[in-house]
Amino acid sequence: MIDILSGYTFLIVAFGTVILAFASGVIGTVSVIKGQSLIGDAVGHATFPGIVIAFMLVGIRDTFALALGALMLGIIAFFIIQLITEQSKITLDSALALVLSSFFGLGMALMSFVQGNPDFDGTQGLSDYIFGQAAYMLRSDVYLIIAASISSLLIFSLFYQQIKIYIFDPIYSRSIGISNPLMNFMILAITITLIAVGLKAVGAILIVNLLIAPAVIGQLWSNRFFHVLLIAGTTGAAAAFIGTYISTAGDDIATGPAIILVLSAFVILSLIFSRKGLLSRSIQKRKAGERT
Amino acid sequence: MMIEVLFVLIVTAMATSLLGVFLVLRGMAMVTDAISHTILLGIVLAFFITNDIRSPWLIIAASLVGVLTVYIIELVSQTRLIRQDAAIGFVFTALFAIAIILVSKYAGDVHLDLDVVLMGEVIFAPFNRIEIFGLSIPNALWQLSIILLINITFVLLFYKELKITSFDPKFAYIAGFSVAFIHYALMTLVSVTAVAAFDAVGSILVINFFVAPALTAYLLVKRMGTMIMLALFFGVLNSVAGYYTSFYFDLSVAGTTAFIALITFMIVFLFNPNGWVSNRVQKARQKKQFNRAMILMLLNEQSHESLTQEEIMTHFNLTPKRFNRHIDHLLVNEYIEKHNEKYRLTRRGVEFTHYTRIKYELPA
Repeated sequence: MIDILSGYTFLIVAFGTVILAFASGVIGTVSVIKGQSLIGDAVGHATFPGIVIAFMLVGIRDTFALALGALMLGIIAFFIIQLITEQSKITLDSALALVLSSFFGLGMALMSFVQGNPDFDGTQGLSDYIFGQAAYMLRSDVYLIIAASISSLLIFSLFYQQIKIYIFDPIYSRSIGISNPLMNFMILAITITLIAVGLKAVGAILIVNLLIAPAVIGQLWSNRFFHVLLIAGTTGAAAAFIGTYISTAGDDIATGPAIILVLSAFVILSLIFSRKGLLSRSIQKRKAGERT
Repeated sequence: MMIEVLFVLIVTAMATSLLGVFLVLRGMAMVTDAISHTILLGIVLAFFITNDIRSPWLIIAASLVGVLTVYIIELVSQTRLIRQDAAIGFVFTALFAIAIILVSKYAGDVHLDLDVVLMGEVIFAPFNRIEIFGLSIPNALWQLSIILLINITFVLLFYKELKITSFDPKFAYIAGFSVAFIHYALMTLVSVTAVAAFDAVGSILVINFFVAPALTAYLLVKRMGTMIMLALFFGVLNSVAGYYTSFYFDLSVAGTTAFIALITFMIVFLFNPNGWVSNRVQKARQKKQFNRAMILMLLNEQSHESLTQEEIMTHFNLTPKRFNRHIDHLLVNEYIEKHNEKYRLTRRGVEFTHYTRIKYELPA
């Protein structure tokens, strides 16, 4: 066990995923409380054409360029989603489904163009993008994750009061001069950044879980915003560490899915055993029944 | 032979967009997205047992997992501990993660290409053929045609029930319709259709085939019957356009079709009679009319009977360009006249302001 824990690959991967999971847990909480948790899913899929375009333009598999391409397309997708929901009777739910699948389709079309073209070589498979390939994470990838996560957390803590007011009382926040669209965009921009840098670690689809599940756990254990954030970040980080360990120790278990499964186990445990969970609820019901 | 690809695409589009109408009306688009991901788990599990990618057990197992996904999501959100959208996001990624671990752990022993399952390739459909009544047709075309027929039968049989439960589930429940039955029957068909289509369009893009035509139709019409017809029409249109575009540029057929669906949607979104562009034009026109009416009203006041250009511009905070446009219009229509560099109302202008006051319900 000790030699796994001190192995170079393990340290690199664990460091990257733990920090990413902590930041995702904290930032994802905002979207979950606002009822927009699936925007992360939509944007995650929408980053795919961005990666292919970045690859076509830059030509090499430079993580930074790919993340930048992912970020751009994610933002475009977000604006299209907003345009559609604000200017027509179409609901957020439908707009998300439409945009995520269409952008993914664009990515596939571009990908088939790249793969059929001898000018481009060294393309990665789609599965690498969707599931991540944490085992091949380099030091530079981890630096990128650290830079993105720390700046995200920094921006978040700088605007902590404004974000808090914006989440829980949008009307009051507007009346004291906080721009709600700007806040919304800021949160989304941070989310997209985390998705973009996290693609290599856990992949496009599974990072949605990293954004949602920790927030769900946090909300099950506490009602105070700050505590929810803290719990979300910590459980995310813990799951990332355990998941990375499992995937390194067992053979042929991909890191991303391993982390997600650990996190899902945490959610199920919290659903049952937490303060607001099913167990304490049924105990309370029984007590209430005894009294009458 | 290539034209068969187009047929497969069209049948897929019709089978999916028919059900897509109800998914959109019920706000279940993202639940369908979840299903289209989790059927992978069913496919993988059934594949490990049967070791045959064409086995009908794959469809059955995958459909079961699809319905199970809907059930778990509902179970979790019914506890009211987790919001529905968070429940969707958490449940489907967890099931998807299990599928991936299974594949990555055992993919070495068996032949199951994840790229093909996720992306699908309708191009390969004609290679897998089946003999029906002495006719050799692609297996996918045969399968999807049957599913299309089942879907049409379902919609025709339960048209009234689907309509009521989609628009007013509470009333439907009180009126004695079995809301749960219709719901799960619909979700079962969605799962079956998604599984059958994954071969052709891949498990992620199938969501596009479900919702994009239905949403495009939703922008245009208010009646459910017409919406279904239009959705089918857009589904076919996207398929044909996607097919020829992808052949021309040598691209992935399903991917191109999905993106063309977004283009179709955006064109309708922007240019339909109640769309974005006509709203903008209408707003601009109203603003212009209002500004002109306000200039006339100002000139109609006793103390402002004749004003210079400067005075009007500062009063309304107008740029010279905009001022000229308004004043030219008013001069040409003889609402105002220019006299010694000052503007004042004509008789026609006075009458017009009188009616404007009535129109905006101002004291005359």
